[in-house]
Amino acid sequence: MKIFRNACPRNCYASCSMLSYVNNGKLVKVAGDDQHGYTKGNLCAKGYAFTQYVTHPNRLKYPIMQSPRSSGNWKRISWEQAYTIIADKIIELNERYGSNLASGYNKFSGNIGLLHYAAEAMFNSIGPHTKPKGNLCLTTGDEALKERFKQFEQSSPEDMAAADLIVIWGANPAVTNVPQMKYIFQARRAGAKVAVIDPVFTETAAKADLYIQIKPGTDGLLALYAAKRIADSSFFDENYAQDCTNNFIQFKRIMEKVPSADKVSELTNAPISAIEELAELYIHAASSVTWIGFGMQRTNIGGENVQAISALAAMTGFLQKKKGKLFYAHDDLEQFPLHLLKFPEQKHSKAQASRAIDINSFAKNALELSDPPLKFLWIASRNPFSQDNNLQSWMKLIQQLELIVTVDLYMTKTAEISDIVLPAATHFEEMDLIVSYWHHWISINEQSLAGYFESKSDLQITRELTNKLNERSPGFSTFPSELEALDWIQKELSPEIQELYGIQDYTDLLSGPHLKKPEKIPAKEKFSFNILDVSGYLENIKVQKDSLLFPYQLITPQSLLTIHSQYEHLSWLIGTDENSEDTIAEISAIAAEENKLMPEDSIEIFNENGWVDAKVKVNPYLAKNIVLVKQAGKKPINWIIVHQESDQCQETSTHFYDSKVNIRKKKVSRNG
Amino acid sequence: MVKQLGFVFDIDLCIGCKTCEVACRNENQTVGTVRWRKVTRQVDGSFLSLSCNHCSSPECFRVCPENAFTKRMDGIVEIHAERCSGCGLCMEACPYQAPQFDPITHKVTKCQMCNDRIDQGLQAACVEACPTEALTVKDLYTFCQVNGMGTTLGFPDTRLTNPSIVFLPEKERKRYFQMR
Ligand code: SF4
Ligand code: SF4
Ligand code: SF4
Repeated sequence: MKIFRNACPRNCYASCSMLSYVNNGKLVKVAGDDQHGYTKGNLCAKGYAFTQYVTHPNRLKYPIMQSPRSSGNWKRISWEQAYTIIADKIIELNERYGSNLASGYNKFSGNIGLLHYAAEAMFNSIGPHTKPKGNLCLTTGDEALKERFKQFEQSSPEDMAAADLIVIWGANPAVTNVPQMKYIFQARRAGAKVAVIDPVFTETAAKADLYIQIKPGTDGLLALYAAKRIADSSFFDENYAQDCTNNFIQFKRIMEKVPSADKVSELTNAPISAIEELAELYIHAASSVTWIGFGMQRTNIGGENVQAISALAAMTGFLQKKKGKLFYAHDDLEQFPLHLLKFPEQKHSKAQASRAIDINSFAKNALELSDPPLKFLWIASRNPFSQDNNLQSWMKLIQQLELIVTVDLYMTKTAEISDIVLPAATHFEEMDLIVSYWHHWISINEQSLAGYFESKSDLQITRELTNKLNERSPGFSTFPSELEALDWIQKELSPEIQELYGIQDYTDLLSGPHLKKPEKIPAKEKFSFNILDVSGYLENIKVQKDSLLFPYQLITPQSLLTIHSQYEHLSWLIGTDENSEDTIAEISAIAAEENKLMPEDSIEIFNENGWVDAKVKVNPYLAKNIVLVKQAGKKPINWIIVHQESDQCQETSTHFYDSKVNIRKKKVSRNG
Repeated sequence: MVKQLGFVFDIDLCIGCKTCEVACRNENQTVGTVRWRKVTRQVDGSFLSLSCNHCSSPECFRVCPENAFTKRMDGIVEIHAERCSGCGLCMEACPYQAPQFDPITHKVTKCQMCNDRIDQGLQAACVEACPTEALTVKDLYTFCQVNGMGTTLGFPDTRLTNPSIVFLPEKERKRYFQMR
């Protein structure tokens, strides 16, 4: 039996390091890694299911091709054939249009390993092309925090164990960040209070000492009220606050615009006693944690809410001598050289640069491109046909695409509409480096298994496909295909990174994950508050009018045992009680009564974008104007979600939670 | 018996994450539908994580015509595959659906409380994996906690087998739901 060190590459807070036990080339079990200071030897259910994931019968084994598209008429092809078809198409398009702008990719966070940026490097190596820009997931919150703090440093999430107040705003770690619950419960055991503010009564809310259910999109107001109460309290040392900021007086003046408790209660829909109780907890806590979840920034008003909550975090943290901490996500990753992501774009005589289109409306924007139109699309680490918004635009886009290639491990919704599907490696079958966006540990991922049938890593595919391109058309790609995975890892571990993580080279990581050294906090430097326009924010809250046509807000959180649409095939996970074949729509008891619906009834959830069939589940804790549906599944709910661009900020996350819907009982046809 | 090892399950701490259930499958590589540990949501929204309860009066042990069950000195109830004929009488007798039919070997299997791990001084796999310490193994002869309960909502009748499990209740919490 051999034991290897791996790291889970999923887009998840925890980025767990794990050990794989391999016997005769077979993965017999996985285990958590004691050396990992954050996960401390634990994995979540999905992590423990990897033994099933790796050899699941549904896993893709060979390159396959279907014709016609979407027919399901797949036939196995060799890698050589696949590379030839793809290379010939790229070269033909280049000849037809005089550049590679007709070729593009769509890739996101299906695997966050650094070497998975090989796909980006491949495209850069052929010169200007069409690419996505932006981040679906975190941008709105990121931008809001940057606006407030210039540089926001996130401390170690392990520190939550020492807080005496933890307030979780719209995050549900019991489902999406299970290892963090260990630290939250440690704090609680030591006497800390845990509060959860969320429109949905989540698994985490159920464990909190205080839960406040609020109207979606009004979190910030609750936070501003607490901030104002702190500023007014006798515990607050105003002189100290003035010492740390340039414009505290201005900030105070703004706080005066925060309405009274009864008005806040009216707008947030939370009782006055709840609002006061939260403020009191913040006032009396010696060390508080304010955790801003990703969910709340998935709306048009999300950025303002994040700003408002971060003002509260400032009031409980560095504006006082208190040790209040703010958590959201961090960008340690950006300190790495990211040689693959930033691989220099090959110069082109005519096309100046790549066309970068907003990933939030990728298909819609891609359809608008002409001269040349987008004709070839490469999809990796991504399942847009389940997880993106505006799938109607995607359906149109694929009409104009001459070749769609998807790299994945399973037959996803996106693979189903692709021409060629290439089998991807799991993290056990490739080497990689994993950097978290939540804790500060870096983990190496060793290759512990030989490739599964003919599966290959993104890097290997890039190496071979660029070779093929150069064979067909010398000099087409500048990618150094001779470099192996380890070479790229060594390049990432630059002298600065070695210094930052206290390592000499990659072999140090083989004996365990390493923690980033704490950043040196610059000697007390005055900072300026970028102050939220409270009046404007209040207006924005008020204009969120209820729509008569579509009275329900659609909220689509992650389900416990999948990450977006990943892991959907595993019986260890989906065989458990709470998963069903049908899409489940959770509605309130009032909504059930108003629509004369009973549990298990078949309904359609619909809006101007279309409809999705679902089965009713009455959730006694749900607010009456919310419909809650978990992501992914057979007919993904994203079919009726269309991102609405924000008029306030340029760069945003996808506003998945802005969708309004209605529900109706499904007519039973006579013929059954 | 010198000991009675049993599970202590703290309902107040369980978040229903199913890590215990899948960690058991990872450790024991049980096939198909065989789930030695199961996490279920109760009508009141709380969770239960249950496996074999290593009962003081195990019905499985009593009804098995092949004497496939034994009870160790530390209280763990084991099933010995080599003696099991797959008749399924234990599956009917156990109130907790702990013994389960393995469709590949045609024998019954169940949670052995990770006996090999316990013998090596390790924790049971499910206990080790639980992020909140909701699930622990204790010697119930000496374990004593005033609020410990022999049964709880959603747990089958205990009179027949006297299961080795203690439940700790959920605590009161403050919850404010939307007013309108
Ligand atoms: S729970 Fe069932 S299988 Fe386990 S000892 Fe009791 S009767 Fe036997
Ligand atoms: S004690 Fe071991 S065999 Fe029993 S449920 Fe836990 S992990 Fe499974
Ligand atoms: S691992 Fe622990 S918290 Fe999670 S379901 Fe099992 S007992 Fe509950």
